[in-house]
Formats: sequence, C-alpha cells, structure tokens
Amino acid sequence: MAAITIKDMSVSYNKGKTFVLDRLNLAIKDGEFCVFLGPSGCGKSTAMYSIAGLLEPYAGEIYFDDTKMTEMEKGKKKTFVPPQERNIAMVFQEYALYPNMTVRENMGFSLKTKKVPKEEIDKLVMEQAEKLELTELLDRRIAQLSGGQRQRVALGRALVRSPQVFLLDEPLGNLDAKLRDQVRYELKKIQKELNITTVYVTHDQTEAMTMADHIVLLNGGNIMQEGTPNELYDHPANEFVAGFLGTPQINIFPCDVKQENGDLILDAGSFRLHAPEQVKASLAAYVGKQVDLGIRPSDFELAKEGVNGIPARVDSIEPLGDAFLIYVRVGEKVVVFKYAGEHAPAEKDLLLTPNMLKLHLFDPQTQNRIND
Amino acid sequence: MQNTLSPERSREGQAAQTLRVKPKWHMTVLHIVYYLVMIAFLVFYMLPFWGAVVSSFKSNTEAISTSPIALPQQFSMEGYSGAMDLLAVSLLNSFVVTVFGAAGSVFLGSICAYALGKWKFKMNNLFFIALVAATYLPFQAILIPLLNNVTNFGLYDNIWGIVLAHAIFGMPMCTTMMRGYYAEVPDALIRQAMVDGNGMWQIYWKIVIPNTKLATVTTFVFQCTSIWNEMLFALILAAQGESANAPLATIVLNGFVGSTGVEINQLMAGSMILALPMLMIYIFMGKYLISGQMSGAVTAS
Repeated sequence: MAAITIKDMSVSYNKGKTFVLDRLNLAIKDGEFCVFLGPSGCGKSTAMYSIAGLLEPYAGEIYFDDTKMTEMEKGKKKTFVPPQERNIAMVFQEYALYPNMTVRENMGFSLKTKKVPKEEIDKLVMEQAEKLELTELLDRRIAQLSGGQRQRVALGRALVRSPQVFLLDEPLGNLDAKLRDQVRYELKKIQKELNITTVYVTHDQTEAMTMADHIVLLNGGNIMQEGTPNELYDHPANEFVAGFLGTPQINIFPCDVKQENGDLILDAGSFRLHAPEQVKASLAAYVGKQVDLGIRPSDFELAKEGVNGIPARVDSIEPLGDAFLIYVRVGEKVVVFKYAGEHAPAEKDLLLTPNMLKLHLFDPQTQNRIND
Repeated sequence: MQNTLSPERSREGQAAQTLRVKPKWHMTVLHIVYYLVMIAFLVFYMLPFWGAVVSSFKSNTEAISTSPIALPQQFSMEGYSGAMDLLAVSLLNSFVVTVFGAAGSVFLGSICAYALGKWKFKMNNLFFIALVAATYLPFQAILIPLLNNVTNFGLYDNIWGIVLAHAIFGMPMCTTMMRGYYAEVPDALIRQAMVDGNGMWQIYWKIVIPNTKLATVTTFVFQCTSIWNEMLFALILAAQGESANAPLATIVLNGFVGSTGVEINQLMAGSMILALPMLMIYIFMGKYLISGQMSGAVTAS
C-alpha cells in the first residue's frame, strides 16, 4: 500500500516531438480509489502504464510513497525501477490469463515467481478463490472459462499477492451490463476491505462516478479537473467536464449578458433569465458579452402557474421507468430534461423553470467556469 | 401430357431439368479432364518412385535384366541387407547430426526470434534484415571460410563440426519462422508477466515457450528434413572414403555408385531407407505441421 505522486510527467511516443501527456502533476493518496477518466486517446492508459513502469516517460518523476520509481529527463533514464520490482498488480482489459496454466497456476504465478513456499501459495489462492467464488474452477484451463469467470480469475490473480498498488485498465469493458454492475460493486467492496491504493482506467463515466474516491478527468493529455465525483459533477471546471459527466448531457445555451434597471439578465434569444444573486458578482465582468449557460437535464422542472418560465414544445418522450426523458424544442434548440413525475405531461407546450441554484456559467472563449 | 401442365409447372420443370442435367454434363466433362491431367502428372511423378520401390525388392541380376517398373519375379531382401551393412554407421551419424543440428538451430533461432519479435532494442531492424539476408545466402559462397574455421576449431571430419555448421546456418531460417509465431503471443500477456515479477528471460521460459510448442515442433521438423537430406556440408566438412570419421548417409549412399559398377537393388533399397524417417515424420506430424503453420497456436482470450 502506497501513495502515488507524479511530478511533471510528460510522455512522448516520438522522442519529444509531440506529447501524449503534457507535464502531468498528480497525487494519489494511500488507499484511495482513483479513476482516470476520459475519452479514448486522452492519455489515461498511458498514464497508468507509466505508473506500472511498462512505459518510460519522456520526462518527470513518479514516487510510491517516498521511493522514487521513475525519474526521466528528456528521454534519458535517471532512475527506473522495472515493473517486476514495483510490487504492483494489474488487470488488463483483455485479462491476459496465461493459456498454458490452470486457474490455480494462474493465480499463484506471481507468488511462485517471488519464491513463496508452496503451502502458503495454496492457502492464499484458496482464500482468494473463495472470496471470488472460483473454488470449483481452480483446476480448469483458461480456455474452458466464460468471460465473467475469466474476469474474476484476472481479478483474483491480482488480489492474491497484496500489492502496493493495484492497477486496472478498463477491466469491465468485456462484460455484459448485468455482470458489470455486479463486479463493479464487488470490486469496490474488495478495494475498501483491503484498502489498496487503486488506479482504475475507464471511459465510462458511470463506472467513474460510482466507484471513485478521486476522479482524474483527462483530455488531450491534460488534466481537465480532479476531485471527488460530486465536485466534478456539481462544479465542473469547464465545459468539457460538464459535458463529459452526466447522462443525458448537460444543455448549453449561448446567452448575452445584459444590464437592465440594475438587474443582470441572461438572454438566450428564446428566453430570458434574471441572474440569481450568487452569480451576479462573477457575471459583472461579462456585461455586454456572451456566456455559455449550462443546465443539467435533471435541473429543470415544470413551471408552477403564474411563474414566467421557458416556453418549450415537446418533441419526444422516453420513459425510463422511474422518470421520463423529455426532448423539447426551446426556440430552434433541442433540449432534454428529466421529468420525475408519474405520468408524462400530456400538453404539447410546456413552461420550464431551471433550478437557479444549479446554473453553470462558462466563458465561451476559454471554456472555463465563471461562477463559483 | 404437356397440355395438362400449367405454364408455371412446365417452366419449373424445365428449370429443374436445366439445373440437374445440363451442369452435370458440363461438370462430368470437366471432371474427366481434371482427372486425366492429374493422373498424367501422378504417373510422371510417381513412376521413378515406383521403379525405386520395386527395384529395391529385386535381386541385383533381376534389377539389371528386367524393366525397372516391372514387379519383382522373385521377392528379395538382398538389397536391403546389403544397403544396411553399408549405411549402418552413416545412418547413425546422420541421425545425430540431424537431431543436434536441428535442435541447435531451433534453440538459437528461438532466442533471436523472441528478442526480435517481442522486444525493441537499438538497431533491432538492422539485425532482422541481416538475418533475413542470411536466410537467402547461398552456402557455396561461404564454403571456403567455413572450412577454414571448422578446421581451425579442430572439428574437421568430426560430426560435431557438421552439427555446429548446421546449428548456425539454420538459425536465420528458424528465426524468421519463429518470429512470426512469437509475434502472435499477445503483448498483454508479456506485460502481465512483467507485472507478475518476471524478467525478460523468465517470461521466455515460462510464458512464451509453453504457449508456442507447436511453433517449436514445426520449425524443428522443418530443420530436420533439410539437414537430413543435406549433402553440401556433409561433403565439405568431412573426409570421404573408407577412412572417413564422420560419413553421413547421403554421402555414403552417393558412393554406392562406385567405379566398378552399380548394385541397383542396393542403391534403391538405400534410397528407401533414407527416405523413410522423413516420410514417417510427415505422416505422423502432418496434422500438427499444418495447424502449426495456420496459427501461432495461442490466443490469450
């Protein structure tokens, strides 16, 4: 168990011409479940491989606690502990189980490499197999297992050796939806029990939101934002983060900021909103300019009678069981909102009011968040 | 009759007839042509072999006086016993050279192939290109330096000298073959093994070799056939004649055609004896050889 610290790490696949990761700084606490989230090609797997030592960064340092694992300077190695000496366990998306061994041998392989006595290997493998319900499969060959079973073996193999750091590269990607939910829950439970520092790579925001203590959202080789799932969801630092987290996606309205009778107005063309008190200070600098207004689908509700709402025309309704996703047209724009009522509204024309406490305002140029 | 059928039926009937009869006639003619051509080639190809088989079971006088393709009038093992007497020692030599030469080249080739197929190091492409070039090197071009070297090592006229030459000159071919198989071992497996605490050579022994057994067998058999049938090294690197220390079967068999005349039945029997081991390998291992060539024999998931 160890904390991981990354300092100014850059990774390049072409000797410093272009960077897949650009001066990454990151601190992962001991025992934390940290998720690297981002679209494909954002560098999340690259960052994990660098931690594992399967990849040499171009520059920067990586520490496990106070031990320096990697120190690179312009492509030259200064310190580099090879992956086999880092005491890490890793689960790959393709599981990478050894086809020439049985489940038991697969799970015991790393311990055998470390020359742990045979009786102890048997004991540890047995313990872990019981936890993951693999006891009956121990003498099977890998080819005889189903996808879900292989996944559990891969997990068991990683857990058997109580590593310093546990690295998971999209481990649930090959499972069907039901099994994925179950394994997700179990994985999180095991991680809490063992309290192993875990880095988990995924492009699936639901996995990230449900499992993480700490999300690192990456895009184009840079950290867009890091923090707890709720911090990222409630206070997205920029439009990318706001759009990446949350399904369905956040609705973005370009608005003109106007000052009228000492009041600040957000004018989206098809509707006007009085800026609430808590954003006024941050909006002051944008009077006469544009801002992007973001409202999450769950932050709309139907306007009560007599309230001046946003006029919207229903396009289509998707029942979710416990709620409805309603696609409406506001002016020319298609907007989605989540309606939690028992019956979908029958009218074609609706009036919507946003939750004024949950407005997200972004600068259209820098895409950065304006309000607190 | 025709009138009782509806137009559809009759058209259907016609269509069915066309389907059944016309292509059949067409195919039959084609098939006859195919078979004629195949039989012609088969006869052309197998006739010498047939001649060798029947002649090997004749007595020498009969072999000389009758048609080479006629069945033996008197079945005789004379040729085989004579050939075995002459070949006994050299067959053993050939066996040793083949097994150790092939094993040596497969071993060296396997190591090279692993390094080239699964790891990146400085100038790895240059090494690979050099190896591929070496595969196509005509051995005649290097015979004199080779002979010099082997003599300097004190291995002239010694079967281990020939083993050494085969092990080394078979290596490029083995490398090229095995590199293809090793490339199919998934990288994730290698990474996983590294994370599990294994270094480069541990991964080779524990993961790569056990998962590519078929590749090893295929390459080994391939090398065996070419070494077993080989004459050039055998002729150059060992003394000839009665006093030779390391005569190989191919050379000795060649010597059956002596200055005084030929014992045809013996020569043919000797050829059969020499052909037999490789024939057996292909009959028993053919299945593996084909599947080995089709796939790298491993997939991780």
